[in-house]
Amino acid sequence: MLDLIERNIEAEGEVETVTVADLRAEAETRRNVGRFARAMWVAAGLLLLFNSGQLVTVVNGFGVGPVQDTAVALTATWNAQMEKTGLSRPVQTIREFVTRMRDASWADLKAAAAPDAPRQGASLRGPVEDGKG
Amino acid sequence: MLFPTLEFGIFFLIVFTVSWALRFEPVSRKWFLVGASYLFYGWWDWRFTGLLFGTTLFNYLGGLALGRTERPGLRKLIVGVTVAVDLGVLAFFKYYGFFLTSLDGLLTTLGLHRDLPFLEIILPIGISFFTFQGISYVVDVYRGHIQAERSLLDVMLFKSFFPQLVAGPIVRAADFIPQLHQPARLTREHVAVGTVLILSGLAKKMVIANNLATELVDPVFFDPTAVGGLDLWLGIYGYAIQIYCDFSGYSDIAIGVAALLGYRFRANFDQPYRAASLQEFWRRWHISLSTWLRDYLYIPLGGNRHGEVQRYRNLFLTMFLGGLWHGAAWTFVFWGSFHGAMLGVERWAGRKLDEFAPARGDEAGIVSRFGNFAQHVVGVVWTFHLVCFAWIFFRADSFPTAWDYLKGLTDWSGAHEHVTPFLVGLVSLGLIFQFTPRDLGRELALGLRELPSPLLGLFLGFGILIIWAVAPEGVAPFIYFQF
Repeated sequence: MLDLIERNIEAEGEVETVTVADLRAEAETRRNVGRFARAMWVAAGLLLLFNSGQLVTVVNGFGVGPVQDTAVALTATWNAQMEKTGLSRPVQTIREFVTRMRDASWADLKAAAAPDAPRQGASLRGPVEDGKG
Repeated sequence: MLFPTLEFGIFFLIVFTVSWALRFEPVSRKWFLVGASYLFYGWWDWRFTGLLFGTTLFNYLGGLALGRTERPGLRKLIVGVTVAVDLGVLAFFKYYGFFLTSLDGLLTTLGLHRDLPFLEIILPIGISFFTFQGISYVVDVYRGHIQAERSLLDVMLFKSFFPQLVAGPIVRAADFIPQLHQPARLTREHVAVGTVLILSGLAKKMVIANNLATELVDPVFFDPTAVGGLDLWLGIYGYAIQIYCDFSGYSDIAIGVAALLGYRFRANFDQPYRAASLQEFWRRWHISLSTWLRDYLYIPLGGNRHGEVQRYRNLFLTMFLGGLWHGAAWTFVFWGSFHGAMLGVERWAGRKLDEFAPARGDEAGIVSRFGNFAQHVVGVVWTFHLVCFAWIFFRADSFPTAWDYLKGLTDWSGAHEHVTPFLVGLVSLGLIFQFTPRDLGRELALGLRELPSPLLGLFLGFGILIIWAVAPEGVAPFIYFQF
């Protein structure tokens, strides 16, 4: 994969003295810096929306002080809002699924594979609804 | 500051933005990157930034002195003194306590007990890596592979550049310093390769290595007598995968972060467990260290130039010292010595087997081809198990623990509570990735190259989100930080 970068460095060396090529390289750099910076902000926004619980964990690790206390209060409020709107649910669902996978035994796996034994495989599929509405 | 943390995420966001904003002023950009690297290093313990700067200055002055003299005797003296000081600093911080403890044990055994000057020495993080980079710089200048660098700033950035500072890859001056003399460029390829490597590194470390460490490897190595034989077998396969994912994950992130700042590092791993011989394993595992040991230790020792016996001796010594480089403990010495001895045995056996090999004309036959394939498969399985055997000593905290582990491997009578579908699945997944096509990451990078920024951001964001969700709670430090 790293040859993708190497080729560029070599090519750059060959055309270093050509002004138009330099200008093009600079324009490409400008475009890509902007492109990746925007991508990072999009990624950060997604994490703020969907992973607000993690933010609370991190901020709680800060020391005690007026700024830290404000940060803790802000992140807790933000996380509560995300939970209210259901945006933090997908991450919780994945975590619960992974925990069930982690805790599953060979018997659970076998039971989950056998359709006529629904109760035994429960730990792989999560809690069974009672179906009474 | 660990890579998979929010702190590092914010740090990188700032470094990326400011360093590219400074690209029209290369000197300011380098100063900024040096400052960021020292901040990154000082995050653990700011006192050691002085050590980092001191050794850098010494290597820089050594390089300058070498560049100003043509006299062979004086050049030899300069390179000798510089390398000795580098190794002296490493020896003091890393091996002083180990040496005195071993000496104390020996004297007590001989009935000559003495009060020795023990000191409480904190091991500066990454000292093994930046010492080796400093040595390679001075030796390369001495050998004439590179010119002595006149700019202290460039040498400082070469030695302290934060992606590789604390756990490699060990970057060569001849690879990195010329990049500092060119205008900084960020292409679509840099962005795509950086994104793929950062995500793959995070997945390896946080999903596979961290899960294996907490659920399997730490418990079975804590007390091997308390678990069943099957647990121990899975435990050692799990450790082989854990250390690979942990270290190659770190290397991937380091190479990816460097790519996003416009620099290129060489690859450090190449699916090492698909190797069909130990020699091949060392061409695929921690490539920057094995090539460093080859160029700055094995070849100066004489390499393969003075006959077979000398060659075996040099191989053994190189791996012995490579083992000691990893840590100040006899278990690491055994690990390196075992690899050195087995590399010698493998070479000797290979030469003997070649004497019985069929003539060249038979190679195209189907029987011969099947034989070659079977030989390759046997070679892969055998090499993997040799490496796993040595990993037991690498991971165990002492020889008695390693011995208990080995004894337990033959006793399958106890319960095997760690052999769960989840852990078997993780180990299998780690092994399967050793045999996937090598171009997988490259193809993914080519696919990402043309993505517009919102889609790239979604890919990056959801990638990190899923990795965070699947990973266990907390961030375990990388294994190679201790070296």
